[in-house]
Amino acid sequence: MCFPRDAREVQAAVRAAQHHGVPFVARGSGTGLAGGATPLDDALVIVMSQMDRILEIDPRSRTAWVEPGVLNLDLSRAAAPHGLHYAPDPSSQQACSIGGNVGTNAGGPHCLASGTTTAHVLAVDAVLADGTATRIGGARPDEPGYDLRGVYVGSEGTLGVTTGVLVRLLPDPPAVRTLLLDFTSIDDAATTVSGIIAEGILPAALEMMDAQITRAVEDFVGAGYPRDAEAVLLVELDGLPDGVTAQALAIDEIGRTHGARTVRVARDEAERELLWKGRKSAFGAIARIAPDYYLHDAVVPRTQLVGVLRRIYEIAAEQRLTMMNVFHAGDGNLHPLIVFDRREPGTWERVHHAGTEILEACIAAGGVLSGEHGIGVEKRDLMGRLFSPIDLDAQARLVEAFDPSGLANPRKVLPAGSRCGELAGTRPVPEGTWI
Amino acid sequence: MNGLRMTTRGALGLDPDELVACVSCGLCLPHCPTYRVTGLELASPRGRIAAMRVVDSGAAPLDAVFVRAMDECVQCRGCEAACPSGVPFGHLMESTRAAIAPRRPRLRRFVETLGYRGVLAHHRVLVAVSWLLLVAQRLRLVPRRYAATLPRLDMRRLALRLRVPAGGTPDVWLFTGCVMDAWMRETHIAAARVVRATGARPAVPGRGGDCCGALHVHAGRTDDARRLARRVIASMPGAAPVLVDSAGCGAALRDYGHLLGTPEAAAFAARVVDISSWLAQQPPLPLRPGGGRVVVQDPCHLRHVQRDHAGVRTVLGPAYELVETDDDALCCGAGGAYAALQPALANDVRARKVAALARTGASVVCSANPGCTIHLRAAGLEVRHPVELLADALEESPR
Ligand SMILES: Cc1cc2nc3c(=O)[nH]c(=O)nc-3n(C[C@H](O)[C@H](O)[C@H](O)COP(=O)(O)OP(=O)(O)OC[C@H]3O[C@@H](n4cnc5c(N)ncnc54)[C@H](O)[C@@H]3O)c2cc1C
Ligand code: SF4
Ligand code: SF4
Repeated sequence: MCFPRDAREVQAAVRAAQHHGVPFVARGSGTGLAGGATPLDDALVIVMSQMDRILEIDPRSRTAWVEPGVLNLDLSRAAAPHGLHYAPDPSSQQACSIGGNVGTNAGGPHCLASGTTTAHVLAVDAVLADGTATRIGGARPDEPGYDLRGVYVGSEGTLGVTTGVLVRLLPDPPAVRTLLLDFTSIDDAATTVSGIIAEGILPAALEMMDAQITRAVEDFVGAGYPRDAEAVLLVELDGLPDGVTAQALAIDEIGRTHGARTVRVARDEAERELLWKGRKSAFGAIARIAPDYYLHDAVVPRTQLVGVLRRIYEIAAEQRLTMMNVFHAGDGNLHPLIVFDRREPGTWERVHHAGTEILEACIAAGGVLSGEHGIGVEKRDLMGRLFSPIDLDAQARLVEAFDPSGLANPRKVLPAGSRCGELAGTRPVPEGTWI
Repeated sequence: MNGLRMTTRGALGLDPDELVACVSCGLCLPHCPTYRVTGLELASPRGRIAAMRVVDSGAAPLDAVFVRAMDECVQCRGCEAACPSGVPFGHLMESTRAAIAPRRPRLRRFVETLGYRGVLAHHRVLVAVSWLLLVAQRLRLVPRRYAATLPRLDMRRLALRLRVPAGGTPDVWLFTGCVMDAWMRETHIAAARVVRATGARPAVPGRGGDCCGALHVHAGRTDDARRLARRVIASMPGAAPVLVDSAGCGAALRDYGHLLGTPEAAAFAARVVDISSWLAQQPPLPLRPGGGRVVVQDPCHLRHVQRDHAGVRTVLGPAYELVETDDDALCCGAGGAYAALQPALANDVRARKVAALARTGASVVCSANPGCTIHLRAAGLEVRHPVELLADALEESPR
C-alpha cells in the first residue's frame, strides 16, 4: 500500500509495480459499491487520499483543477462562494473522491438533467500503466483528435491512475423547489414518474423510495417523511422562478391524477437539505433493518418501470428475501437492495440467485447492468449476458492498447476470456465483493 | 434484530450486533478528524471498526498496530453522529479500550492509576498538583513535548474563589468537575452569576462530587468511573436540575444510566443539562447587544454525543454576532487527555480547525468545553466559555 502526495510519486509507484511485475489498484475513498478498488492478486494499492488539494478554481471559465483525492462535497463547498457547484452528486458525495467518481463515471440524483461525471470532466492527468504521465482531453470544448477522455472516464482504474482532473462547474440555479409526493402503491409512484417525463418536464432530480427505505431513513433524519407511505417521490425543479412555479403546479396535478395522497413543498433551504440528507443516507440507514445488503444498479427504460418493479418484488418473494428499492427514478436507474443477515445459513445462495434473476429481468426489459456504480468484480462475470463476444473482444483490445502489461487493476470490468479465442464462460457473481 | 444473536463474545468482548451494524459505506470518513489529516484507512472509523472485527473474532492478534490505531482515535464521535446505520461507535471504542487497558505496560498503568485515582478523583490533590505544575512552568521544567499541550497556568486563576454554597437544597446544582474547577474557575464564577441573574439559587455538589469520571471511561477504566459516578450521584440529591458547563463532563453525567445500569442512575442522568441549553429555556436575560463577532465552536461532546448544541446560539444570539465554521463541526483534536497522549496528531487536527476558525473572520472563539479551550488557547486563540460571554453582556449586574 502506498500514499503518494503528487503525480511524481504516483509515477514512481507505478514504475516500481511494473519493475516487479506486480499489479496495482488505485483507491479513492473506498465507497465504490462494485469492488472496483478491491485488490486482487496481492496488488499494490495506491491510495489517493493524501492528494486532496483543490489546485485552482477559475470562476470566469467555470472550471477547477483538482487532485483526485478531493472529496466531491468539498469541491462544491469550495466553489460555493463563486455561486458555482460541481453537478454530479452521488449519494456518497460527502465521502467519495473525484478520482473515484471519474473511475466509476459516478452519477447522482442531480445527473438527470445535467448528465453524469463524464459530462463534467474536461481533462484528466493520468499516469498510464507503463509509467508515462499524460494529459487526456483539455480545456477547450472540442479538443482535436479522438475523445480518449470519454474512454477514460468510467474505466475503473484499468487504464491508469488519475493524478489530476479538470472539471466543469455549473452556476447555481436562480430558483430551486423540492417536492415530496407520497403514494399508497408503488405502481402509482412509478406511473407518476412516466407521466412527468411524458409531459415533457425534465426535473433536476426525480428519486423514488419504497416503504421500508422511507421508514429507515426517517428514523435517522426525522425529516417528516411519511412512515405509512408505500412509496415516495422526491422531485427537484430548478431554473428561472416562473418556470419552476409552473412546473411545480404541473407535477402537483400529475401526481394527484395518479393517486398521490399528498404533495409537500419544502418551505426553506433547511427543510430541503433535510429531505435530501434522508435520501442520501438511504444505503447506510438500511443497516437498521438487517446487517447486510446486496445492491444492484441496473438501468431500465422508464416506460418499463412499472413491470420491472413488479417482477423484482416477485423475485424477492419467491426467494423469501426482504427487498427494498431506492433509486433514480427519473432515468430508470434502479437500486434494488436485498437486505439480509449473512449469519443465517443458506441466505447467501438465495441472495445470489435473486440478484442474478433481477439483472436478467432488467436486461430482458431492454436495460443495462450498471447505471453508475461500475462493473468492478461484482458484475464482471455478467458482462457476457449483455455484450456479444465481439463486443467484449473490442473492449479487451481497448484496454490492451492502454495497458499491454495488464497490470492496471487487473481482472476488473471484463470477465476472463474476453479476448476471442480464450475460453469464455459465465461464472456466478463472486463472493465478498460488495464493498 | 433477528433470532441469531450470538451469545459468545470475542477477544475484545464486543457486542456482535453493534459490530455488524457497520456496512462499510464510508459516509463517516469526512467527519473523522484523524482520517482527515492522515488519509489512512486505519485512522478512520470504518478502518477502526474493521480492525475491531478481525481482532475480536481472533482473525488478527491484539498487537501494537491495533493498539495504536485505537489510541489514535480522539473519541470525538463525529462518526457516530454521521452514521446512517446508527453504529454506536463510542460504545464500541470504550469497550475496546477497556479490553486493552490491562495489557498496557506496567509503568504506564502505574502512572495512570496514580493520575486517575490519586489526582483527578481528589480535588485537593489536583489543586496541589496544579500549583506544582505552575511552579514547574515558571522554572521551565516541563518537557517540550508537553509544553505546547498544557495550559499556561496563572496564579490569579488558581487563587480565584467561587462563592457558591455546597450542598443543601438549591434550585439548581452547578457541577464543577475536577480539572475545570482547578484551572478554569473563572468559568464557574461566570456561570454562577448568570444562573443568579435568572433568579435561581445555585449550589455546588456536596462531598464526593469532584470528578465525573469521563477521562476514566475514555481510558477504559470503567470500574474507577463507576465508583466516581456513585459518589457524584450521592453528592447532588433531590430533583433539582444538574447544570454542567463542561461538555465532556455533561456527556459523562448523562451516560450514568448506561454506565451503572440502575434506575437511580438513569433518573440522575435525566436531570443533567448543559448550562446553555438550560438558560435557553429560561426567560431571556437582560443583555446588552453589540458584543462583536464570535465564532461558535461546538465541543464534540455537546454536539455529537449530547446532540444538544442549539442552546448556545439561542442564548448568545441577542448579544453577539454569531458565525459558524465551514467544516461540519469537525473535532479540534483536544479529546480529554488526547492532546497530551497523542500530541502530534492532536496538533495536526488543531491546525485544520484553526484555519477553519480563521476563515470566519471572528477574533473570539466560544467553546463550552475545558479541554477544547485549553487546546485552542495553546494555539494562540482567544477562547471564551458561553457563560463568560453572557456574564460580560449582562446589563448592570454587580460582580
Ligand atoms: C452510501 C453510498 C451511496 C452511493 N451513491 C452513489 C450514487 O448515488 N451514484 C453513484 O454513482 N455512486 C454511488 N455510490 C458508489 C460510490 O460512491 C461511487 O462509485 C464513487 O464514485 C466511488 O468513489 P471512491 O472515491 O470511493 O472510489 P473507490 O471506491 O476508491 O474506487 C472506485 C473505482 O475507481 C478507481 N479509482 C479511484 N481513484 C482512482 C484514481 N485516482 N485513478 C484511477 N482510478 C481510480 C478504483 O480503482 C475503483 O475501480 C454510493 C456509495 C455508497 C457507499
Ligand atoms: S460506521 Fe456507519 S457511516 Fe461509517 S462506514 Fe460504518 S456504517 Fe458507514
Ligand atoms: S470517534 Fe472521532 S476520531 Fe474516533 S473514529 Fe470516530 S470520528 Fe474518528
